[in-house]
Amino acid sequence: MTAADKTPAPAADPREAGTQLRPGLWQTINERYPGSMIRKESFVSQASLSKPLAESRLTLISSCGVHCKTDPPLDVCHPFGDFRFKRVPSSSKQRELIIHQLKYPHDDADLDLNVIFPIERLQELHMERRIGSLTPNFFSFIGYNMDPERFERTVAADIADAVVQQEHADCALLAPA
Amino acid sequence: MSVTVARDVTEAVKVPRALFLPWPMGHHFGVPFHRDLQRRVILAALKLLEESAEPGTIRTIRDLPIKWADVRREAKSMLTIQGQRL
Repeated sequence: MTAADKTPAPAADPREAGTQLRPGLWQTINERYPGSMIRKESFVSQASLSKPLAESRLTLISSCGVHCKTDPPLDVCHPFGDFRFKRVPSSSKQRELIIHQLKYPHDDADLDLNVIFPIERLQELHMERRIGSLTPNFFSFIGYNMDPERFERTVAADIADAVVQQEHADCALLAPA
Repeated sequence: MSVTVARDVTEAVKVPRALFLPWPMGHHFGVPFHRDLQRRVILAALKLLEESAEPGTIRTIRDLPIKWADVRREAKSMLTIQGQRL
């Protein structure tokens, strides 16, 4: 047996393998967020674009907690979370927006909001006609909520209704901070 | 169409399509002021939106060969030019 034979094979790089450091940690999201209505056997729904992206209207939804500086912030200190959401005009400039969120590091996003809420990049892609149009408003909320059932019934349902019925979006880009 | 840095959570919540990037929380679209990188991530996500036919598809970094260490280094040089620190 040579020295080379004793050398253990290097573990697969989780980035290359497309996994994270603790694969299989949860069988279902319900183990981490008790009360969620999503189950392991739940059906994964999918709708396809009905027209080319260059003719479609896109919205942006993020749990990054960004809002207009002129709006009061969401409650970042409530132990159960804030079950409201904010509309962010899609024509906003970065200097008009601010992040209020304590549950993820946003130092870099404070320097350049586009790392988590790419509003300026989407405006550019719309100007270049890569995207047909943007909804008048984008959406933001605080991802920390300790009552998933209430969250799905309020924030998630209300945003979904607004995206479809008020903003008439064809597709949505999600950025779950 | 989700851009995620938490693959296991995304698998569990069953989004129709997702682009997974093994990057730090809060950096879904890259690093500050790296406009090209931010665009590449968005365009990769939109491409998946147009192409994906299988519900629950999660595309990984293998389809977007960008190394975090490289973009971090590029971000540092960009911020240095602006007199800021990363």
